[in-house]
Amino acid sequence: MATITRARVAEGLVAPWVEWERRCPKGRRLLEAGTYALTEGAIAAGCRVFAGYPITPATDIAEYMSKRLPQVGGYYMQCEDELAGMHACAGASLGGLKAMTATSGPGYTLMHDAYGWALTNEIPLVVVDAMRVGPISGITGAPGQGEFYVARYCTHGGNFETIVLSPSSVQEAFWLTIDAFNLSERFRTPVTILTDQVVSDMWEDLFLPDADEHLDFVVPRKHNLMMPFYPLGGADLDVPPNIIGRGTGVCVSAYTHTEEGYDIEEMEAQWAQTYRLVNKIRHHRDQLSRYETIGLEDADVVAVAYGADARTVKTAVLEARRQGLRAGFVRPITLWPFLDELYERDCHYVVCELNYDGQLVREVMRAAPDRAKVHFMGKSAELHTVAEVVAGLQGVARAGRIPELPYIWTEVR
Amino acid sequence: MATTTAAKTRTEILISGFGGQGVIRMGQILGLCAIKQGHRVTMLKSHGTETRGGYVRAQLVISPEYVDSPVVEHADVFVAFSAPAYKKFYDCCSGRILYDPELVETIRADAPERHVAVPATALAKARFNNVLFANMIMLGALTRLAGLDYEAMKRAMLEVIPRFHEQNLAAMDVGYDLPVPV
Repeated sequence: MATITRARVAEGLVAPWVEWERRCPKGRRLLEAGTYALTEGAIAAGCRVFAGYPITPATDIAEYMSKRLPQVGGYYMQCEDELAGMHACAGASLGGLKAMTATSGPGYTLMHDAYGWALTNEIPLVVVDAMRVGPISGITGAPGQGEFYVARYCTHGGNFETIVLSPSSVQEAFWLTIDAFNLSERFRTPVTILTDQVVSDMWEDLFLPDADEHLDFVVPRKHNLMMPFYPLGGADLDVPPNIIGRGTGVCVSAYTHTEEGYDIEEMEAQWAQTYRLVNKIRHHRDQLSRYETIGLEDADVVAVAYGADARTVKTAVLEARRQGLRAGFVRPITLWPFLDELYERDCHYVVCELNYDGQLVREVMRAAPDRAKVHFMGKSAELHTVAEVVAGLQGVARAGRIPELPYIWTEVR
Repeated sequence: MATTTAAKTRTEILISGFGGQGVIRMGQILGLCAIKQGHRVTMLKSHGTETRGGYVRAQLVISPEYVDSPVVEHADVFVAFSAPAYKKFYDCCSGRILYDPELVETIRADAPERHVAVPATALAKARFNNVLFANMIMLGALTRLAGLDYEAMKRAMLEVIPRFHEQNLAAMDVGYDLPVPV
């Protein structure tokens, strides 16, 4: 955990890349987009297959990948749709290569079937969802945060946990993509990078470590040489993935399966499979904490936001503190599993997110000590402004409620 | 040209016009130049779905420290390349406004001292017989007005733009050499 002090406020960022950055002194500083950083992060993490279908604002990832992957001995495949794209990634991963696909909300919903296959068969891969405002096609070039719950329940049927990470800057998108690949290997599961149109489209200074620098924090692809294929009923981390033609072999099934991968219709097998899929994540939550906080030690009102929206919210918190308010800030980077422990302080919470229906706010209401002190500032298609969030924080600190503001929704039922 | 927000020094630049004028390119050069000089930079770019003709906006924030909010709410410099852009974003600017008088024909009467007319389109037509060089003329004028490092800006331009280096350098000179009110 790195703690720096700026404007006399304690700031903390808890994420593995705080240490990685120190280990990579040499590199280039560029002005590049989030899509570029996501691509280069994937390449640095050892991704050698991209299969997908282009969609704004994730199209540039496909375009960069089509250029970069052949340069590093990888494969780019443009598919007929997103469903095929993610299935192809699952196939590539079963074949022994790290794989990624990228899309936006309309494509992400099409991937649910493939997501289920990868999840239940423990196939590591990474999916980027660059959220735009919806529902469905919405506005192509405007940011939204409507897939908070969709990313948690990224396939049907229940009986699983998911890992979802969200970057808030171009630089963080680079490191977080490496992290997502590492987690997908260690947990043997697909990982979603839930980003948004602003982070993916915006240009920002980006530090890229030199390509010849050995990134020893990258978790390499290993092969499972042990029977059984699926350690059902256990919650062990770091079980190597099953690879076709290597080691034990592999048997892939969408049905509830045995430890050897064969279909089975017995309640005991269902119990064992669920225990594995849920608890390999729940029992290792300590490995999944990534977040940023400011001023939680003395805050009367804490602003909560993630992704690009957290950028303006953070500036607003610093501005509110400058004006004498005891304001705090929580930015969850790991969205799922939800980090309940960030909301233990008994104080007011102002949850800012880019949707009008209220998604993140419902989880904060569940986790916070007093649901009545959790307030909602929903906005859509544009980031909150600093002025809006400062007004919201002041309203809650002084009158216990968010003032009326144009284009801001405060109602959650 | 700097505002202090949350105990930080940041410079905000807003450039807006029509698609095809090189608004994003201009922002990209400014941003890269700042990065080469050791600054942190964010640039939001928004545009309509059209390649040409729709609205385009670049919001740049330059700071010696990491930029939290990338949103320009109080621009130190606003470059208006179209009348709709001038009208729409006038209130986001608390500093100087560079406008192209061929495209922004009427300006507000309340703050003439904040306005600087840069006849970039007319000069591009007259000197290069091509309006595409207007953005580089504007960039030269902005570099001079904002007191930025002109040699560094030229190097950044050469790095960003792949072709027509001589004409683009000449266009930057045209803008840089314009008489600018202090």
